[in-house]
Amino acid sequence: MEQWKNEAKQWLQQGIEYAHQIPPTQLYAAATVLLLTTLFLLIVRLFKRTKSNTIVLTGLTGSGKTVLFYQLQDGSSHQGTVTSMEPNEETFILHSESSKKGKIKPVHLVDVPGHSRLRPKLDEFLPQAAGIVFVVDALEFLPNLRGVSEYLYDILTKASVVKRKVPVLICCNKTDKVTAHTKDFIRKQLEKEIEKLRVSRSGISEADVANEFTLGIPGELFTFSHCSNKVTIAESSGLTGEISQVEQFIREHVKP
Amino acid sequence: MLEQLLIFTRGGLILWTCKELGNALKGSPIDTLIRSCLLEERSGAASYNYDAPGAAYTLKWTFHNELGLVFVAVYQRILHLLYVDELLAMAKREFSEIYDPKRMNYNDFDETFRQLRKEAEARAEELKKSKHVGKPVIDGKKQGQVKKGGFEGGNKKKSEANDGGDGDTGKSYKLETGHSNGNHVNIEGSRAVVANSKENASSNVGAFDVSKLQKLRSKGGKKTDTVVNKGSNVHPKKKITKKNRVWDDSPQESKLDFTDPLEENGNENIEVVGTDHGESMMDKEEIISSDSEDESEEVGKESKPDTKKKGWFSSMFQSIAGKANLEKSDLEPALKALKDRLMTKNVAEEIAEKLCESVAASLEGKKQASFTRISSKVQAAMEEALVRILTPRRSIDILRDVHAAKEQRKPYVVVFVGVNGVGKSTNLAKVAYWLLQHEISVMMAACDTFRSGAVEQLRTHARRLQIPIFEKGYEKDPAIVAKEAIQEAARNGSDVVLVDTAGRMQDNEPLMRALSKLVYLNNPDLVLFVGEALVGNDAVDQLSKFNQKLADLSTSPNPRLIDGILLTKFDTIDDKVGAALSMVYISGAPVMFVGCGQSYTDLKKLNVKSIVKTLLK
Repeated sequence: MEQWKNEAKQWLQQGIEYAHQIPPTQLYAAATVLLLTTLFLLIVRLFKRTKSNTIVLTGLTGSGKTVLFYQLQDGSSHQGTVTSMEPNEETFILHSESSKKGKIKPVHLVDVPGHSRLRPKLDEFLPQAAGIVFVVDALEFLPNLRGVSEYLYDILTKASVVKRKVPVLICCNKTDKVTAHTKDFIRKQLEKEIEKLRVSRSGISEADVANEFTLGIPGELFTFSHCSNKVTIAESSGLTGEISQVEQFIREHVKP
Repeated sequence: MLEQLLIFTRGGLILWTCKELGNALKGSPIDTLIRSCLLEERSGAASYNYDAPGAAYTLKWTFHNELGLVFVAVYQRILHLLYVDELLAMAKREFSEIYDPKRMNYNDFDETFRQLRKEAEARAEELKKSKHVGKPVIDGKKQGQVKKGGFEGGNKKKSEANDGGDGDTGKSYKLETGHSNGNHVNIEGSRAVVANSKENASSNVGAFDVSKLQKLRSKGGKKTDTVVNKGSNVHPKKKITKKNRVWDDSPQESKLDFTDPLEENGNENIEVVGTDHGESMMDKEEIISSDSEDESEEVGKESKPDTKKKGWFSSMFQSIAGKANLEKSDLEPALKALKDRLMTKNVAEEIAEKLCESVAASLEGKKQASFTRISSKVQAAMEEALVRILTPRRSIDILRDVHAAKEQRKPYVVVFVGVNGVGKSTNLAKVAYWLLQHEISVMMAACDTFRSGAVEQLRTHARRLQIPIFEKGYEKDPAIVAKEAIQEAARNGSDVVLVDTAGRMQDNEPLMRALSKLVYLNNPDLVLFVGEALVGNDAVDQLSKFNQKLADLSTSPNPRLIDGILLTKFDTIDDKVGAALSMVYISGAPVMFVGCGQSYTDLKKLNVKSIVKTLLK
C-alpha cells in the first residue's frame, strides 16, 4: 500500500513538474485559440439566422421583369428595355419609400433573365431568396401558357424553394392594356396546367431527374393553396408604374 | 442611312437611342438579334440580318465588356454602309467616357454622336471617291470592293447570308462569306432569313474574278442550276433520276421485294411474348459527380474564395498585379489552347473556331482582376458559353407534347431522319419502348421502303414490343405510306406514330427532295435528326445541308426544319463528346435523346453539366 502511495506521489510530482516546464506563452496561446474559435462559431450561427433581404424577379422572357425592376428602383422605366442577357441586381430602398423617414432596410432585388438559355442563372440566386416575384405577361398569356406553367412548376418544385418555404407572388403584368386577362382567370388556367404537368411528370417514373419534389396532394385537383410555401397572386403594370401590390409583397417579406 | 443606333446594358436597359433618326423600327430586330445571335454564342460574327414584313435590316454590334454595354447599329440591308463599324467603335470610345452606372439619361450624347456620324460619313465618302477614281469600274457589282462593306448599294437581288455561319472577320473577302449558302446557312430561329437566302448566282455570271473562284468552291447544291453551280460543286452530284443503286457489276435483279407474303402462320414460330427489359435509362437518375452540388448552401459566398486561390500558383507578376485591360492578343494563347482541347474532344473545327471568337468578343476589354489567371477566366467564360449553347431553347418534354396532342385527338408524329447507318431503326425501337413504359400507345410506320430488310427489322421490333406496325412493303412512295400510317393511327387511337425513313446522304438531291416531300405532306410534330456521336467534322455539313434542303425544297412558306437531335452510339466514345456540341451549335436544335447502347433500355437524356465538364477537362 505504501509503495503504491509513494509511487502515486512521485507520478503526481512528475506531472506537476512537467506542467511547470511548459512556457506560459504557449498555454495562453492555446487558450486564446480556443476562445476565438468558439466566438467565431457563435458569430457564424448568428449570421445564418439573420433573414436575407433578397427578392428574385423571374418569369418568361418578355414579361416585363426589367421594367418592373427599374420601376421599383427609380420610379420610371427610363427609355425602355430589351431582352436581358445578364441578371440585374441592386440593393436599394424602394423608390416609393425613399421619402419615408425612419430606418428602412434596403432590398436586394435581383432580376433574372427569362430567356430559356439563361435559366441556370436562376439557381445561383434562389438559395438566398427571401421571396420570389414570378412575373406573368397578362396580355400574351394564352399563347405562352405552357411555357409559363412549366417554368412555374419547375420553380415550385425546386429543393431550395420547398425546403425554405419561400413565398411566391405571381404578378400579372401589363394589366394597363385593355385585352389583358384578369388575375383570377390566370390563376385558374395556371392551376389547370400545373395539374396536367403534375400528372405527366410525377406519376410515372420513380426517379424524376428534373424535379426534386412533387406538388400538391395526389387525388385532388391542384390549387395554389396546396403548396407548402405561400403563393399569392397580384396585378401590376410596369409601364404606368402601378406596382403597389408588388411593393407590398416585398415589404412583407423583407422585414426591417 | 443609318436607321437607328442603340446603346443598352447587358441587363437590358436602353441607355441611349439616337433621336435624330427617329424612324421606328419595324418588327423587333434588337430582341431577335439578342435571342438568335448574341445568346447563341454567335457574337463573333460580323453582322446579322433581320427580316420583317416590310423591312430588311442588317444589324452590326460591338461590346464594351468592361462596362457591360452593347452598341447596336441598324440599317437597311440594301444600303451597304461602310462606315458603320468605325462609327460603332468611335461611339463606344466616346460613350465609355461619360458612362456612369448610376446615370440613366444621356441626352448630352446626342451632340457628340451627331458629330461622330458626320465625320464617319465624310470619311466614307472620301474612300468611295478614291476607289472610284482608282478602278475603271464597268459594273460596280462585279468588281470586288474588297472591304467589309461588300457590294455597292443598289444590288437588290443579293441577300448576304452574313450571319454566324461565316463569322470570319479576319477575311477580307466579304464576297466569299456572302455566298457560303451551301454550307453555313443561318439556321437559327429566324426562318424567314433562311427562305430569303437566295442564290446570288445570277449576278455573278460574267466578270471573271479570282476571288469568286475561291467562293465558288464552297458552294453546295443550290436550287437553281446555274452555270456557277455546275462548274463548282466539290461533291459530285448523283444522277438526277433515281435509278437502282448498282454497287458492283452484278446484273440487276428484277425482284427486289423479298417480303414474305403475310401469313398468319409465320407469326407462330416467333416468340410472341412481349419484352420487358426493365426501366429505360431515360427515367433513371443520373449519378453526377458532386462538384456542382456544393453551391446549395445558404451562405453562398463561401464558394468565391476558392477561385482566388487558383491564381496563386501561376506567374506571379501578372497575376498579382493584374492588368489594365484584356487585349485580344492576351486572350489568343489561352483561346488557342482551349480550341485545341475542344478539337481533341471531337468538336468540329469551325465550331470550335466560332466559339472561341465569341468568347473573345465577350472578354475583350474586361479588366483582369488581380490574383486571376487569364486562362482561368477564359475557361470560365467558355464553360458558361457551352452551358448556354447546350441548354435547350425550348422545352424538350416530349411526354407533355404527347399529352397535348392526345387532348386534341390527333396522333403525335415523329419522323426520324439521318444519313446511312446512324441507328435510326434501332433508336426508334428504343423510343417506342420508353413511350410504352409511360403508358402511351405507339405505332410504327415503316417508311424505309428502300433498304432490304428494313421493313422486317421494324416488324420484329414491333412484335417484340407488341405494338402495331403500318407497312406497305418496298418500292413504295414513303410520303404516301406515312400519310396512310397517320390516318390509320388516328383511326385506331394510337397516341404516337414513329416514322422510320431511309438513310440518305445529305448531297443526294433526289433523296433529299423525297424527304422534304414527306415532311411537307405529313407535317409531323417532331422532325428528329439522328446523328452518331462518332461523326467528326461531317456533323456540321450533314446538319446544315439537311436543314437547307428541308427549307429549299419545301413548297410551303414556313418550311419545317430539324426540331431535335437524337445522338446515337454514345457509349462508343469515351470522352470525345464534341459531336453533341457541333450539332447543337450549327442547328440550334436541342438534343432530345442520347442512345448509349444497343438494347431497348439504352436511351438517356443529355446531361449538360457532365458534357461541359468532359469537354473542358
